Amino acid sequence: MEAADNSITLCQSCDLVIRKRALPTGVRALCPRCHTPLYDTPYCSINGMLALCLTAVFFFAPANLYPVLELEFLGSIRTTTVLEGALAVYQQGYWLVGVAVLVSAVLAPGLLLVSVLAQILIIKFGLHSRKLKKTLKQLLKMQGLLTQLTMLEIYVISFLVAAFNLADFATVSFGFGTFCFTMLFIMTLFLMREYDLEHMWSFLDEHQ
Amino acid sequence: MSTNDNATLGKDIGLTSCPTCHKVTCGKSSNCSRCDSPLKIRDYASIQKSWALLITAAILLIPANIYPITTLTNQGRVTQDTIFSGIAHLVKTDMIPIAIILFTASILVPILKIVGLTIYLSAISFKLPISKKKLMSGFHIIEWIGRWSMLDLFVISLTVAVVNMGQLLDAKPAPAATAFALVILLTQLAAKVIDTRLLWDRLEAKDDSSTNA
Repeated sequence: MEAADNSITLCQSCDLVIRKRALPTGVRALCPRCHTPLYDTPYCSINGMLALCLTAVFFFAPANLYPVLELEFLGSIRTTTVLEGALAVYQQGYWLVGVAVLVSAVLAPGLLLVSVLAQILIIKFGLHSRKLKKTLKQLLKMQGLLTQLTMLEIYVISFLVAAFNLADFATVSFGFGTFCFTMLFIMTLFLMREYDLEHMWSFLDEHQ
Repeated sequence: MSTNDNATLGKDIGLTSCPTCHKVTCGKSSNCSRCDSPLKIRDYASIQKSWALLITAAILLIPANIYPITTLTNQGRVTQDTIFSGIAHLVKTDMIPIAIILFTASILVPILKIVGLTIYLSAISFKLPISKKKLMSGFHIIEWIGRWSMLDLFVISLTVAVVNMGQLLDAKPAPAATAFALVILLTQLAAKVIDTRLLWDRLEAKDDSSTNA
């Protein structure tokens, strides 16, 4: 039973039984019936991920605390940060919109980075401890949700759209926060390209 | 192109795949052996749940589009913009690329998502003979593109935060913003809860090889 378990897999979308084959790097196996991606050979270097993750964490605070957009209108200047943007809508009474922005632009990316960092550290140093393995399991279970809630790429585009929108009334410029936020987005993008959930689970399997 | 079509399914040989960690486990166990998530061979109730979410989203799409989404005060003059009039204004001021981005994200994507999911769910519920492969690729596109609707909300949040100079120049969100946020939330959930394996089960009985010979 256990031997068969590793050589076959089931398609998540259509339940087809598929015999796993070794793949060359950079190739992804698709389900022959419904073309859902099944698995690929992960290029999942733990140290590389640690470097990317630390860089992303480094950019996280300035990305959220420095102004991302500056507006000058008749001599008065207004700036906003990502966090203030979410709170501004919230304070106007549109709490659902505020929460949506806060979660997808600030909370989920932050938790995602902290979670990946913790996963990497546990895999590197803490796989002998039962308690840490349990933590790793919980973190891996949340990973899918956090990835889906993280919408940094959309926020980066929204800077541009907002700037063009407002250029009609006033002088708009980007702040230091815009740079940090874009870097945060790029680092997270590369981190998630490197990250492979199945590979992370396999560390846990090996240390059962 | 030829793939063997006498397909063996996981449920035929008593195996099921964990929705959370993708580990293949014996179908009889109620929880995944690796991550303890509850397992189901098929989630038949997911179709009902998805219909419910989708219909609610479709209803909310109406207030989201007819009510104003932002209120702008420019030197004492108050104007309210709906999603559509905001985009129309961008077209008038010759900002076509931005208008296209916003039109896609806030009008096209929500409508396509609701229409697409309706077709997808009808195909399962009423056993419509539509190509399964096309339905599935459509579904993957919907899943991926759906999140881009958030763009409009991000733009509103940035605008509201930066444009606050009282009577001179002031932007505030308006009721459609909440409706629009709910449309996004509900359609994303509707796509997420569907057990896509049901599509491949149900149509199997009728047109197995006609669609992909």
